[in-house]
Amino acid sequence: MTDYAIIAEDLTYYYDDLTAVNHINFQVAEGEILGFLGPNGAGKTTTVKMLTGQMKPRGGRAVLLGMDVAKNIEKVQGNIGVCFETTNLYEQMTAIENLNLFARLFGVKPFYAIEYLSRVGLEGRGKDKVETYSKGMKQRLMVARSLVNRPQILFLDEPTAGLDPASSEAIREVILREKERGATVFLTTHDMMEADKLSDRVVFMNQGNIVALDTPLNLKRQYGRRALKVKVATGSGALEDREIVLDTPETPSNIQELFMHEQVVTVHSEEATLEDIFINITGRGLTE
Amino acid sequence: MNWRIIGTLVSKDLSLFFRKKGILAITILGLVFYLIIYFVMPGTVSENLKIGIHAPELPPVFQHLPEEGLEISIVDSEEILRQSVSDGTYIVGISLPPDFIEKLNTGQKPDVNLYFTADAPEEIRVAMDSLVNEFASTLTGQVMTVEVSQEILGQDLLGTPIPPRDRLRPLLAIFIIFMEILGLANLISEEVERRTAQALLVTPATVIDLFTAKGIAGIGLAFVQAVLFMAIVGGMNVNPMIILVVLFIGAALATGLAFLISAFAKDFMSVLAWSIPVLVILIVPSLGVMIPGAITGWVKVIPSYYLVDAVHRVANYGSGWGDVWTSLLILFGYTIVIIGFGILVLRRKLQ
Repeated sequence: MTDYAIIAEDLTYYYDDLTAVNHINFQVAEGEILGFLGPNGAGKTTTVKMLTGQMKPRGGRAVLLGMDVAKNIEKVQGNIGVCFETTNLYEQMTAIENLNLFARLFGVKPFYAIEYLSRVGLEGRGKDKVETYSKGMKQRLMVARSLVNRPQILFLDEPTAGLDPASSEAIREVILREKERGATVFLTTHDMMEADKLSDRVVFMNQGNIVALDTPLNLKRQYGRRALKVKVATGSGALEDREIVLDTPETPSNIQELFMHEQVVTVHSEEATLEDIFINITGRGLTE
Repeated sequence: MNWRIIGTLVSKDLSLFFRKKGILAITILGLVFYLIIYFVMPGTVSENLKIGIHAPELPPVFQHLPEEGLEISIVDSEEILRQSVSDGTYIVGISLPPDFIEKLNTGQKPDVNLYFTADAPEEIRVAMDSLVNEFASTLTGQVMTVEVSQEILGQDLLGTPIPPRDRLRPLLAIFIIFMEILGLANLISEEVERRTAQALLVTPATVIDLFTAKGIAGIGLAFVQAVLFMAIVGGMNVNPMIILVVLFIGAALATGLAFLISAFAKDFMSVLAWSIPVLVILIVPSLGVMIPGAITGWVKVIPSYYLVDAVHRVANYGSGWGDVWTSLLILFGYTIVIIGFGILVLRRKLQ
């Protein structure tokens, strides 16, 4: 039997007459990276807040590491790490002081802040006040802060939003290393490429409901279309486009026929992105 | 200096200021608030002296006293007179014996009892003594024909003259305590607005931990400073334990007010805007110590009155637990209510 790190059972939250999260159910296995995707207002942040004990569900329950979050909030929070979307560091303090503060809150002893800073490439700036950091550096420090207690579950809310490629890559590496360590990662993001690259499975949230939950590959197979984009040379020397749709019974014969009768110049494969699939399922984009 | 640049900066700052609707609202409300305070304060000065008289037979000469700027009330018994002076209804009580006129007419000296409130100025005591003798002289045409005995009801606060700087002690002590409201409220509002509180609350730290920590920090800062001040100015030479308790409760009161203010404030400027009216109100009772008679009974609705009263009585007059326990109890009650309310509204904001 699979051990689940996270179980959401009929999880519900509403603000007055607005249902933010509508009776959702899902499980996340230990060591799995779950991409949690959806446009603004889909209910992602509310779900994360209920899972991390920041908000009490209006209905249903969240179980983390076998414990009901509402009943064991302190114990649960001692074993999770949360990286927020908005920077909420103590800017007057240095990076080392920030990490030491949170390590003390988690009771981590001994704690060597510099080790965590080096994991996010900030070892040379540990003694600088956070207010002197760039946005990318602050975000990397936020990720480092979420790791100080070696969490069993790591919640990352848009960890790479608005960052330069180098900072984004550094954070993605940290996420993969956490997975290798055995941590479960709950990754909320708008970045479909990132979700595709990192996630074992993804959840599509829309208007408080889960509209899809599967591996990126299965979602692409189920909802997307794969094709070969081919450029062929005509008799006059001009180039023309051809397309062969993959994953159909006719695909092999179509390919064979193309190469037998046409002068193929270039061949590229094309597959649907998660964004395409989200639009396909919900009829709206992730940035709407 | 480049006045053009300065002008541009001033213009920019004013523009930004007026775009912040919250601060604009607070500014206007603050102005309204100060105007209300001004008009609530008494606009006229009453120079009438409230006197209670117990006299089985009131001599005609006493009936003219109101014209002399005195407010006279006739009291049925000497016991009621004593009680009325004790509770501050009358500043002076005059008790004339039943045979007052008869004795005067027969050339004897009647015994007249004068009762004074604890804080009645020395000048009034002397004046009343003279007044009774003067009336007796008017009635008889003789000089010094009355035996006057004076009694101070309650602790005599005029026994030892208090130097002006010692009268200032309660004001300075509460100023030190309540100025901490600013610092603590700013600390808390920043924590909420910058969402660092949110980061703390996904660790094992609970909301209660957070409030307790803030409370300890706030009380500690205010209390230590106030104790240091009182120790240096000699305010703890008498009954230091009472002073410590009073200052501790005062520091807790300041912390509760800081919780309340930080629940409404968003940044340092709004903390300042909310805090100043509160500070002004809290300082009012101490004026009564600096200028005796300047304020009246309404000031007792202000929580800091009981802090000032206790500090003043203990530090300046050596009062003991028995004299100030009611003030301490009321101050404690106010503190509990304000801290509770502060936690309630701040908790709502945090969540």
